[in-house]
Amino acid sequence: MNIFLEVLVYGAVQSSIYALLAMGFCLIFGVANIVNLAHTAFYMIGAYLIYTFFSVLKLNLAMAILLSVVSVAILATGMYRYCIRPVMFSEWSVMMITISLALFFQQLMIFIYGPADRNVEGFIEKKLTLLGAVDIDAQRLLTLVVSVILLVLLWLFIYRTRMGKAILAVAQDREAALFMGINSERVYLTVIAISAALAAASGALIAPTIGARPEMWAPTLGKIFAVVVLGGIGSLEGTILAALLIGYLEVVISFSISSYFGEIVSVIVILLMLSFRPSGLLGKRIEA
Amino acid sequence: MPEQNNRSIFSGERVGLLIALAILSAVPLFIKNRAIVEIIILANIYAVYVASWDILCGYTGQVSFGHALFIGGGAYTAALLNFYFKFPPWVTIFFGGGVAALFGLIIGTPCLRLRGPYFALATFAAAAFPYGLTDVFWEVTGGLDGLYGITPIWPTLEGKYYFSVLLTAVCCGLVYLGGRSKKGLILKSIREDEVAAMASGVNTTAYKLTTFVISGFLAGVAGAFYSHNQLHVGPETLSINLSVLVIIMSVVGGIGTITGPIAGAYLLTIFNEMMREWEELRLLIYTAAVVLFLLFLPKGVLPTLSDGIKQWIKRKGG
Amino acid sequence: MGIILETQELTKYFGGLGAVRDVSFILNEGETLGVIGPNGAGKTTLFNLITGFLKPTGGNISFRGRKITGLKPHEIVRQGIARTFQLVRPFHQLTALENVIIPCLSPRRGGQGKKDGRVEEKAAKLMGNVGLSGKEGMLAKDLPHGDLKRLDLARALATEPEILLLDEPFAGLGLMEISSLSPLIQQLSKGGHSIIIIEHKLREMMKLVQRVITLNFGEKIADGTPEEISRDEKVIQAYLGKGGMTLATG
Repeated sequence: MNIFLEVLVYGAVQSSIYALLAMGFCLIFGVANIVNLAHTAFYMIGAYLIYTFFSVLKLNLAMAILLSVVSVAILATGMYRYCIRPVMFSEWSVMMITISLALFFQQLMIFIYGPADRNVEGFIEKKLTLLGAVDIDAQRLLTLVVSVILLVLLWLFIYRTRMGKAILAVAQDREAALFMGINSERVYLTVIAISAALAAASGALIAPTIGARPEMWAPTLGKIFAVVVLGGIGSLEGTILAALLIGYLEVVISFSISSYFGEIVSVIVILLMLSFRPSGLLGKRIEA
Repeated sequence: MPEQNNRSIFSGERVGLLIALAILSAVPLFIKNRAIVEIIILANIYAVYVASWDILCGYTGQVSFGHALFIGGGAYTAALLNFYFKFPPWVTIFFGGGVAALFGLIIGTPCLRLRGPYFALATFAAAAFPYGLTDVFWEVTGGLDGLYGITPIWPTLEGKYYFSVLLTAVCCGLVYLGGRSKKGLILKSIREDEVAAMASGVNTTAYKLTTFVISGFLAGVAGAFYSHNQLHVGPETLSINLSVLVIIMSVVGGIGTITGPIAGAYLLTIFNEMMREWEELRLLIYTAAVVLFLLFLPKGVLPTLSDGIKQWIKRKGG
Repeated sequence: MGIILETQELTKYFGGLGAVRDVSFILNEGETLGVIGPNGAGKTTLFNLITGFLKPTGGNISFRGRKITGLKPHEIVRQGIARTFQLVRPFHQLTALENVIIPCLSPRRGGQGKKDGRVEEKAAKLMGNVGLSGKEGMLAKDLPHGDLKRLDLARALATEPEILLLDEPFAGLGLMEISSLSPLIQQLSKGGHSIIIIEHKLREMMKLVQRVITLNFGEKIADGTPEEISRDEKVIQAYLGKGGMTLATG
């Protein structure tokens, strides 16, 4: 019973982080057709920034999170304007430049913080007893709750606000949206900022649990891709479903076999999905 | 799909390559500084990494972000066979290439039909897999430190050097000739318009897969050679850094021309080693330079140079 | 004359949309068949099905009595069926000659194949046959549209096909260009090729074909000689709605 509850919570935490990251990634891709390979680098920077603001500078938690998220959002919009927009005509150039930027950020983290892991204290140093049976870190629960709140906020933003509708319009048909007077540039900037902010938030939220490492963006990028492939591009529900599946699969395998094998799960998922059902569980086709 | 210029302006391209080969062969006779010779050996190996990548990207248009899978696969296969079973270098190198080719078959079959960014991401993820495995089976692979005590290719520096030249000459030569052949033409047609190629009777899937497997084999051979050169194997041979480095060298040199990426490999390896002194800043400057490069010199060094030379000639003539 | 190509109740659904529905027709050996119909009628989808670019949801395709349903595009080419595309698809960064060389490397099984001489010579000869001599070294992206249409023809012929599927060969061409391209197609027909032509330029096409089938909303609504078709009420309605006008037969 113990283990079961632990797995339930850990799996949910993992899934919610993956969902946040995958949504952000799909958002940029679906709306602006940008394959942002630096997406998980934002996640990494978010983790480092929360370390800086919360652990080192001892700022108040809310302030630290806000600063981290906003800084990354600003960084992302700058990156978009100066590095991505000039090469946006070519999918390939965008990929090249974003992966180079990801590597640059990695080196930057090493340069500023050194190559070793950085630990972040938990935001809440408590253990809660669930159902009188198992102790769960309040930290993980906090991560889960905040992630879910963010996801709901995102959903509300997209489906209930004017900007959100503009985003949907551009995602469906760029030209038509232009004709309707929607400023696609502003939409792109909004999407980039939101996506990066979500990535930074997930990094900040998970930092107390896993720390901050300069290489942490790379394996996570692969996992996000697994989520995207599994869920299918263009389907928000598919993404959430896939994030749940992969998050739980990883946790279950980590518990039962070994944590290393848990890491590999996503790659196997990708290969299997691509071999047998490339359009994902619920999405559009991505074959040539 | 990357922009490329595949019309060589050097009508004496082959002559140029032979001259380059001659220069390479003469190096140990004139340069006595061990460190420099070692750097050029490294550059020779990187040239094969890069040429084997370019044959996939430059010719079929499929950009792989996981080339390290082949390199590291070959490196580890060779190292493990040598370390545990005492296989001699020639045998291990052959097996290294073979295992990498097998990886190519396994990954290529499901992934080659994907469009550009998805293929890139799939290869990226696929390369992460063995990287993780070296950690899981750390007792066997030596984990993060890797394995030491691999048999050298040849006991002397000169011998080692000439074998590296042989490696480059054979592998790059194969890639170059293949690229300029009728098969290479078919590959280019696949890159230009896969649907039209299919309508012209080309079995594009078979061609892409074969190219991927060959690309893997050559990279695996070079990776295996690397193990025997460094006398050590480590997970850096499977890292994303290496995959991206290969791409960067190709982009800097000029994708799609085979000669461009090879030039890029030499340029960047030398540049990289020269910057060893500023260890901390080195990679930072390197990656920043790459970003700047991509923004301002997108076609690559060789094509930009050759375009520049063409312009200069026109102005002088006209 | 035997039947060289036959479709039986060929059907293709995209989700709920029936692009091609129960289309059955035959092509006789040596015949030139026209396929007409308003935009979206399913003509190009039909070509895509026959040439293996799409898998049918139902029905069959036979070539000389042998089933070819479900074969991959390059295998269909090897069988002896070649096609051109509505919007030309040259290999832009390759020369015109190279564009023709590539299909030369995959000829029909049982044909001349690579037996006679070098591929470059064969390709050059083909270019000459379609009136493109002298342009071998030009990059495809630098060729004008009319030349690209001829190049497409050369590329299709390079695989030594028995059947040619031409998808709007006159699209984007002016009257003069059409009148110089048209005899080429006639020659091919006289030379023994069996041809299917999709066209919107009805007047020009009717001169080339012995028979015409008409598609509308994915279904075959008419099958007959050009004269019969131009008087067929269903065809007139499909194109022009109720009101009617006589299609010129030229």
